Amino acid sequence: MLGQLIVSGLAVGACYSLLALAMVIIYKTSDVLNFAQGEMAMVSTFIAFTLMESYHVPFQWAVILTFLFAILLGAFFELVFLRQAKEPTVLGLIIITLGFEMILMGFAGWKWGPDQRSLEFPISNIQTYNFFGLVMSKINFWTIVISLVLMLILFLFFRYTKVGIAMRATQQNQLAARVMGIRTKWILSFTWAISSMVGAVAGMLIAALGVLDPTMMMDPLLKGFASAVLGGMTSLPGTAVGGAMLGIIENLFGGYVSLAFKSIVAFAVIVLMLCIRPSGLLAKHYVKKV
Amino acid sequence: MLKKAFVPMALVFMTVTFLMTTPVLAQQVRGVTDTEVIIGQTGPQTGPAALWGSVARGSGLFFKGLNDEGGIHGRKIKYILRDDGYQPPKTRAIATEFVEQIGIFGVVGCVGVGPGMAVRDYYTENKVVMVSFGSSGVTNWIKPFNRYIFATYPLYVDEARGLTQYLFEQMKLTKVAMFYQNDDYGKQGLEGVESYEKEKGLKLVASVSAEVTERDLSSHALKLKSSGAEAVIMWAMPTHAALLLTECAKIGFKPHWATSSTLSDGPLMMQITKGLWAGMINSFPIEPPDSNSPLMVKYRAWHQKYEPNERWGSYYYSGIAYAEPLAEGLRRAGRTLTPETFIKAMETLRDWRGIAGPFTFTSTDHQGAKYVYYAQVQPDGSMKKLTDWTRITK
Repeated sequence: MLGQLIVSGLAVGACYSLLALAMVIIYKTSDVLNFAQGEMAMVSTFIAFTLMESYHVPFQWAVILTFLFAILLGAFFELVFLRQAKEPTVLGLIIITLGFEMILMGFAGWKWGPDQRSLEFPISNIQTYNFFGLVMSKINFWTIVISLVLMLILFLFFRYTKVGIAMRATQQNQLAARVMGIRTKWILSFTWAISSMVGAVAGMLIAALGVLDPTMMMDPLLKGFASAVLGGMTSLPGTAVGGAMLGIIENLFGGYVSLAFKSIVAFAVIVLMLCIRPSGLLAKHYVKKV
Repeated sequence: MLKKAFVPMALVFMTVTFLMTTPVLAQQVRGVTDTEVIIGQTGPQTGPAALWGSVARGSGLFFKGLNDEGGIHGRKIKYILRDDGYQPPKTRAIATEFVEQIGIFGVVGCVGVGPGMAVRDYYTENKVVMVSFGSSGVTNWIKPFNRYIFATYPLYVDEARGLTQYLFEQMKLTKVAMFYQNDDYGKQGLEGVESYEKEKGLKLVASVSAEVTERDLSSHALKLKSSGAEAVIMWAMPTHAALLLTECAKIGFKPHWATSSTLSDGPLMMQITKGLWAGMINSFPIEPPDSNSPLMVKYRAWHQKYEPNERWGSYYYSGIAYAEPLAEGLRRAGRTLTPETFIKAMETLRDWRGIAGPFTFTSTDHQGAKYVYYAQVQPDGSMKKLTDWTRITK
């Protein structure tokens, strides 16, 4: 049972990692925690569902169109809501994300209704791979692979590309970045677009693993946030480590301590990490000079 | 001369008018006019519990059809639906509006234990009759006895007990595990299962709970598998049911499954479980969606006529089943309608049938629903009836 609990924990942790990754991208660039991340992912997933279900668009095209929608949604949110904020503080921007979350939730409820749906996915959630007697569903396995690949691509992007470095510079000092010729507004829109797309990947995988409905991201978002805090809010590899660790800790707690209290483990992790090591496991403690 | 006569004439006129109108005002009943009876319902149309919002819309369909047939005793039902988002403080605020501003005669449905508990006493103080209140089988509506509440949902305790009895007596399954939602709904299901097990000298091999918001049930599935259960009884919401079945299928755990009437929307469950729902043993308090009973045929026609865009799911048409006894009470109360005449009329219902099981109310027992039937979901999504209506509440 121990081995299976760990394998299942890794599988669910990969979903947390993907959401954590989407949150960290924005946090790295703008210091903003995006509470609308889950609902942005949910709406994008509903777009994929509608394309396939109502318009019979083949899966791969539906995915491409959904990514395009997610990119536009992220950029739209930054452009229309966040950029219009007068003398914005980080707290003010976070509150705007909360408002956007409610708008999206209301919109999804109105447009698609509250019924649960099943998202068609080419990889099975029931067929399994067997690793030395431990089973993992095919979709769980590929979720881990996708989250690791995405994390690696984004890590290399932030570290070695000009745009990536510009994104980091924008986070550290927007004014200085602008003086150095970086188009910070464009960078911010780009960041939100990329983050929204990563969220859409997470949304589609989470819907394929369970059910699709307007509330489907409430729990994963919290766990994604806990994973990001655990791994480090500014560390991309930290999201993978944080997600995997949280998934395993939760499962071991549920398996050996108490299933009834399993759902509070994520909260305990947030509180503990913020008390012991606020920067997270893999992020450097970063102090702004005043 | 005219001036002198005006004052006494005005006094006489005012006195006569006062005397004529006073008895009428004294007899006026809140929410009842010559042409209307005002009925309210709260239900989550938005937010996380919006799935259950279709109950209230189903009741709306019923009243629409009823009004088009002429209403009851010359009165139409004025039906007012308000969205409480499943938030008790909102439900409480709406209740104040219902009673003090709109002036309702009664409420029907109003899904939710939390929302219902927030307004139960307020409605009682204001003599608002509550039919099918809470739209759920918790014992909160009948304990303590409240003469204004008429419960039309089978009690979860008895339903779970009956289901365990069916597994034990008909299928000879003794190693039973329970998966339940960690709230009143799930706990009362657990209570029913445990009471039957205890009576037979058995013990649940595992009881596993989940919080409403949880989305990862892999460790729950492992725990159930390691218990060696032959059957698992599930008292959960649709999302959890789908997640648990999937997790169990992944690890090769294939017990017999049984569940409550709250998961009786077979087509929805088949779709979201990608077919894993086949074989599920369900208890049902209402006719199946494709039933050919004359009432079901008539309601499906109303559905096509008035609300064809609504999905004909079990939550939706259960809203009709909850409103039917209210209409029957209004019929039996006659033209002189007050809360007292309505309550007395409702208490004359004996094995009365709408599209739900038989309802009986007496002056000391307002738990009207005491019957369910059992059915098994077939691989094509249809249901095979296993029993006829079976009494589960003594």
